[in-house]
Amino acid sequence: MKVNFLYLFSLLLCWGICSCKKTEFLDEKPNSNVVIPTTLEDFQQLLDDEATLSLTPALGELSADNFYIMPNYWQVLGKKEKNAYIWAVDIYEGEGKVADWNTPYEQVLYANVVLDGLKNVAITGSNQQQWNNIKGAALFIRAYAFFNLAQVFALPYKAETATTDLGIPLKLTPNIEEIIKRATLEETYTQILNDLLAAKDLLSDAVTAYLNRPNKPAANALLARVYLSMRNYEQAGVYADNCLKLYNALIDYNTKDPASSRPFERTNAETMYQSKFSETNVVKSISNCIVDTLLYNQYAVNDLRRSLFFTTNSAGKINFKNGYNSSAFGFTGFATDEMYLTRAECRARAGYVADAMNDLNTLLKQRWKTGTFVPYTALTANEALDTILIERRKEMPLRGVRWTDIRRLNLEKPSITPARILNDQLYTLPANSSRYALPIPPDAILMGHYIQNDRK
Amino acid sequence: MKHITAFLIIACVLTGVPALAQITFSKKHVTITDLRKVLERQAGYTIFNTNSISSQLKPVNIHVVNATLEQLLDEFFRYQSCTYTIIDKIVTVIPRGRQSITGKRVANIKGRILNEQNEPIPGATITIKGSRQQTSTNENGEFKLNGVDEIELNIIVTSVNYEPEEVNWQGEPELNVRLKQHVSELNKVQVVSTGYQKISKDKTPGSFVKIDNELLNRRVSTSVIDRLEGITSGLVFNKNNNTTTNQTNIAIRGRSTIYANANPLIVVDNFPYTGDINNINPNDVESITVLKDADAASIWGAYSGNGVIVITTKKGKYNQPLRLSVNSNVTIGQKPDLYAKPVLNASDFIDVEKYLFNNGFYTIKESSLLRPALSPVVEILIQERDKKISPEDAEQQLNVLRGQDTRKDLEKYFYRTSANQQYSVSASGGSANNNYYLSLGYDKNLDNLVRNGYDRLTLTANNSFSWLKKKLELNTSIIYTEAKDKSNNSGALNPAYPYLKLVDENGNATTVPADIRQTFKDSATTLNPYLLDWNYRPYDELKLGNNTSKTTDYRINADAKYAIFRGLNATVLYQYNKGFVEQENYYSKQTYYTRNLINQYTEVDTAIRHIPLGGILDQNTVNYESHNVRTQLNYNTNWYNRNHSKYHQITALAGAEVRGTKTYYDGHRTYGYNEKLPNLSPIDYEDPFPLYQSPAATKKIEYRNSSRSQTDNFVSYYLNAKYIFQRRYILSASVRKDESNLFGVKTNQKGVPLWSIGASWEMSQERFYTVGWLPFLKLRLTNGYKGNVDRTVSAFTTAGIDAPNLYNVLSASIDNPPNPSLRWEKNHMINYGIDFATRKSIIEGSLEYYTRKGIDLIGNSPLDPTTGVTQFRGNTADMKGKGVDIMLRTKNINRQFKWISTLLFSYTADKVTDYKVQQSAVWYYCDPLYMSPIKGKPLYSIFSLKWMGLDPNTGDPRGYFNKATSTNYSAIINSSDLSDLIYRGPANPVYFGSLRNNFSYKQVELSFAITWKMGYYFRRPSINYYNLFNGPDSGHPDYEQRWQKPGDENTTSIPSMTWNESANRSTFYTYSDVLIEKGDHIRLQDVQLSYQLNKSEIRWLPMNQFRIYMYANNLGILWKANHAGVDPDYISGIIPPRTFAAGLKIDL
Repeated sequence: MKVNFLYLFSLLLCWGICSCKKTEFLDEKPNSNVVIPTTLEDFQQLLDDEATLSLTPALGELSADNFYIMPNYWQVLGKKEKNAYIWAVDIYEGEGKVADWNTPYEQVLYANVVLDGLKNVAITGSNQQQWNNIKGAALFIRAYAFFNLAQVFALPYKAETATTDLGIPLKLTPNIEEIIKRATLEETYTQILNDLLAAKDLLSDAVTAYLNRPNKPAANALLARVYLSMRNYEQAGVYADNCLKLYNALIDYNTKDPASSRPFERTNAETMYQSKFSETNVVKSISNCIVDTLLYNQYAVNDLRRSLFFTTNSAGKINFKNGYNSSAFGFTGFATDEMYLTRAECRARAGYVADAMNDLNTLLKQRWKTGTFVPYTALTANEALDTILIERRKEMPLRGVRWTDIRRLNLEKPSITPARILNDQLYTLPANSSRYALPIPPDAILMGHYIQNDRK
Repeated sequence: MKHITAFLIIACVLTGVPALAQITFSKKHVTITDLRKVLERQAGYTIFNTNSISSQLKPVNIHVVNATLEQLLDEFFRYQSCTYTIIDKIVTVIPRGRQSITGKRVANIKGRILNEQNEPIPGATITIKGSRQQTSTNENGEFKLNGVDEIELNIIVTSVNYEPEEVNWQGEPELNVRLKQHVSELNKVQVVSTGYQKISKDKTPGSFVKIDNELLNRRVSTSVIDRLEGITSGLVFNKNNNTTTNQTNIAIRGRSTIYANANPLIVVDNFPYTGDINNINPNDVESITVLKDADAASIWGAYSGNGVIVITTKKGKYNQPLRLSVNSNVTIGQKPDLYAKPVLNASDFIDVEKYLFNNGFYTIKESSLLRPALSPVVEILIQERDKKISPEDAEQQLNVLRGQDTRKDLEKYFYRTSANQQYSVSASGGSANNNYYLSLGYDKNLDNLVRNGYDRLTLTANNSFSWLKKKLELNTSIIYTEAKDKSNNSGALNPAYPYLKLVDENGNATTVPADIRQTFKDSATTLNPYLLDWNYRPYDELKLGNNTSKTTDYRINADAKYAIFRGLNATVLYQYNKGFVEQENYYSKQTYYTRNLINQYTEVDTAIRHIPLGGILDQNTVNYESHNVRTQLNYNTNWYNRNHSKYHQITALAGAEVRGTKTYYDGHRTYGYNEKLPNLSPIDYEDPFPLYQSPAATKKIEYRNSSRSQTDNFVSYYLNAKYIFQRRYILSASVRKDESNLFGVKTNQKGVPLWSIGASWEMSQERFYTVGWLPFLKLRLTNGYKGNVDRTVSAFTTAGIDAPNLYNVLSASIDNPPNPSLRWEKNHMINYGIDFATRKSIIEGSLEYYTRKGIDLIGNSPLDPTTGVTQFRGNTADMKGKGVDIMLRTKNINRQFKWISTLLFSYTADKVTDYKVQQSAVWYYCDPLYMSPIKGKPLYSIFSLKWMGLDPNTGDPRGYFNKATSTNYSAIINSSDLSDLIYRGPANPVYFGSLRNNFSYKQVELSFAITWKMGYYFRRPSINYYNLFNGPDSGHPDYEQRWQKPGDENTTSIPSMTWNESANRSTFYTYSDVLIEKGDHIRLQDVQLSYQLNKSEIRWLPMNQFRIYMYANNLGILWKANHAGVDPDYISGIIPPRTFAAGLKIDL
């Protein structure tokens, strides 16, 4: 019997050994040509997928007043573009797969996968910086995606009603089985700000040639953009200022070739972070967008932007040229010009007229033909603000910020009413209409059971 | 060769010292003295005996041929009162029944053998298992056995007309054994193997099919799986399968999965087989068991969803003299009938080309800067148009072409009669403590296609050793396979103009157009001598090809079994399997492939060849390695209650298993390869180069190096138990848990075991059962879950590496979101079975009905895009199925002339019950390249588009769109409304089976098998103008019946030909309802004839058995439902030719 016990014992031992190594054995990667992201290098590779992560929604821009399109072109557009263009109540007509919703949430998934995976990567002395940068980048990407979604699918932020207004679903884990609801607008903006405040301290200061990688100046720029959209002008000013302290290069437009169809390189001096409109039929190719005549006429003859931003097509209509993205996609990322304008606006609103005008003139000096620019002056804060807002519009047509600006400026003073004439019919979007939040795509509503925006 | 040497050395070591001394001795009245002389002379043994014992020894008549020493001694002592032992070459005569000198514990056993009515059975044989001790019962059914070795004492009782019975003696003073009258031959003790245990078929309620050695050898084939065709109930061979939609060659009881592995699990002896199943030599296979229901298969857990095929290889036997067996056969296959494939004949094809030419169809191609090849006919027409030749000359040249037929040359130079040779030699035998099986097999197949063939060498060495009076047993086996597959001939040309001449009158290869226009090639090579010969001569290419695939596979098994105490034993099993498949395709610099590529990448002005001069070598290797370890406890006991009226038996096993398989894939291409000088010039893969024939088009040199690996790790625990009461009530239960590196964390942690339970009741054993004509009736019921694994999905977030991004940095994108709940697919199966036999087994068989339900099947489903993904592959689909398997055997005549019929009938139907994604257009559902499940329909269904006849004015095919007859083909085929689809029926047979008739008279046996498949549909090929015009397509003779003038629409449904044919018009016709046919058919599968001589019947035969056999396969279709002349098993028209085999088997 003694032998038998020994035998059984050794048998049990065998099993024991098996089960000790079992987790390792069962964690082995099934297939080598797929990557299961686990290392910092893997995460960096995911964050470098700029084809996915650099896209921002376009329906907002399509709903704004920078351009119009010809009726025959409108006729061949997809349902959502057609309807969004005329601010229809239902824009999808049941059709799902809306890139404006799906792509930002795909970006959120990337960020969540990275943030989740980082928990299992130990920080050592040698990887600390890389670890910080990756975490910062993931938080930046998530915040940027949430912010962009909030601009299109939620109403503008009003501090008074933000705790009850509907925000967007805040997906914070990579788990696809998790059930989430639409957060309030307050929760939405709190999440965005928290992510960004954490990100800005993790990201490194330098703007590198890899403009798809977030950095500290860009995080400050995004903070400024977010606060501005919330009409928190004080904080917007602070972060615009922080940004410019880190990075303030401006391009002298006199050095650019007005005859070129793409006067700016992708890695131009002003850009801190690259992003572009996602693929909708309209703004995918900006040559289909015809610049609003009133807007175009505001550019002075000696204003170099007139020739660097625009071109006249064969039909005599004014088209956009390739902007800071150096491609047919419109640029929506972060550049210093926006920060000068944001700081100027915030300074003006705070009453620092001289400082505000100084910011504006610093920028515009680089925009005019050498020797022709006469610095703007303003006597009152309001006068300064009006000038700055006009210049803001002129500096950033088709940059994705106009929609957000219309939404917030109408809350200050209901003065902007976008209008379109299509096939002899006039369409308008009254200030502060419920149609400033676009409907959530039907497939998301169907499967996620989110509350739909109440558009009237 | 190195492998073989190593193998032989190991084989010899493992074989140990078999009793090789062969003694031949024949004499009457042999005394102990005679025996002593023989032993001393022939074996160097001496006999030691005491005179007192020797005097009791009686003279015996002995006749042995090539016997072992022990057999000779056994023969002598069989009738003596004493016996013998061998110690160190000394034979000692000892008295029987007493304490032997080796100090064994011996026992004396007595008992009674009774039938189920408690009546004594006289003349039953009682054998001690593993020894030679035997006795038989007297008239009162009583027996006595003295001097029996007490350890692990199993007693086997056999008697004519009764089922053999094995009982374990546990020291009872009187052992009473009740035998069961055997009424069914099919259900007689057939030992089936599950890979975890071997069990009598009548002791389990599960659904097993056992293919014994005889049935397995009825067919002559290289592959072992082929032999299951037509003889295995519930197993269907699907001939028109499409691997892109996960269809498989074989299916057990239909289909139960969508995207996961759909092949049955193949187990060789104890473990799943990693390599190619063709590596197994069928001559080494003893039997095959097919596990069909949950009770039978669920022991394999997550692998078992598609059924299990357990292959048991041959083993030696203890106490058996050396047996040599030789088997050899040749199979000759006819040349395939190339004319059976429906293609457009040369004259029609030329007419089509002329018609297209006259409509300017070729102008784009002709002026294309890419200079694509044009057919000889088009070249002639161009010359005629350009006035380079007269219309008469052109006509005359075309007429020459009209008279030619490519198939003639193909048949003559590219095809041949196939010849498959198979040789196998085996040796087996064993002494008391050791047995062995050694075999050598060689197959040499010459294909129907010239320069294609297959060679296989297999070596097997199975050994068993036992120690400690059989308490400890060790089995080892080494199986080595080396195979070589040559494939240098596809048997077809591309482009396949039907009027090409491939060999001229002098037997020289002719040039045919390929890739680039011949006129351009000709002038280029004349202009630039720097270019290589640019002509394509298919007949020469045939000789130049060098595409071989070499497989080396070896398996090493070792298992030890230790009897811990009576009834309980522990086993540890280990298997190591390693294999390499090395595929080498060498395009030497003489081949057109290489010359063409070099020329295209030549810059003549600078005399630069971007692809260096030399051959091109493609190497692809697959390298796999698997380790399997299993520890298992087996418990088996049986007992009677006190008054011997109740019988109980428990069989149980429990174990754990670890299994890991790693597979490495490597692909490599070498340009400028030179056998002698391995110096390789660096290749610039980065820059695009101008192509010679169209400098405006630039192209990169193809980079064909890749490598990847795959790892499958499993840890499994299992438990299986059976309880048998009164031999007629059986309860069985099994449970298994699998964990794997493929499954999700939640599955591995929580553990969702797969289980089954089953019960059977042999009703005919009951007292109340009085149906005299049906003396055997058994009911079975099992219920449980099988599992299935999809290797293409992962529980983890997976990403794929993309091309460098805009900033020239490698990036990765997420392919699959994390799915921690990923789990195996579950397959719930309930099986109802009835086994029956009439008196004398005149009619016997079984009937089974089953239902199956696939739960958690891997499928695509749309997901809330807020999660970051819009579509997701996970456990989201469900399927349902049901079926019937009937097996019936009748003895129509059972005298000296015997006629036995075996009928197999199966019904199987499946239905997708939940699938969440719909294809965007109806044409996907008709295209066989897309997997398009629809809720409520079989997974593989034949769908079609409504056919509204031909337009009487134009001959256009007409469909139905927006509730009206329509020729808006784009709208019709792109409709997203699934109600526009017509469901015709399943694409795979729903009813199938076979009828085998066996006739035998004395030693001659003849059998033939008729097989059928019914209840399914297929899409008949017809003319597809778009593909014909734009290639590569050889057209279809339906062309001749096409609509040509108004009125034709009344007699034909073949659309008119339009030179500007749109792809949509052709697609619509191809998918239209008019081309759907019923697949039902009956074929005469094969005929087998054999003649066998046995030593037992013919004394003079210098061998134990001699058998010659003949076998003919693929004999032809007997009946088919369709009138289109299409064999539904071979829709493309390439029907496997008839084969005839003849062979010889000798057992020495």
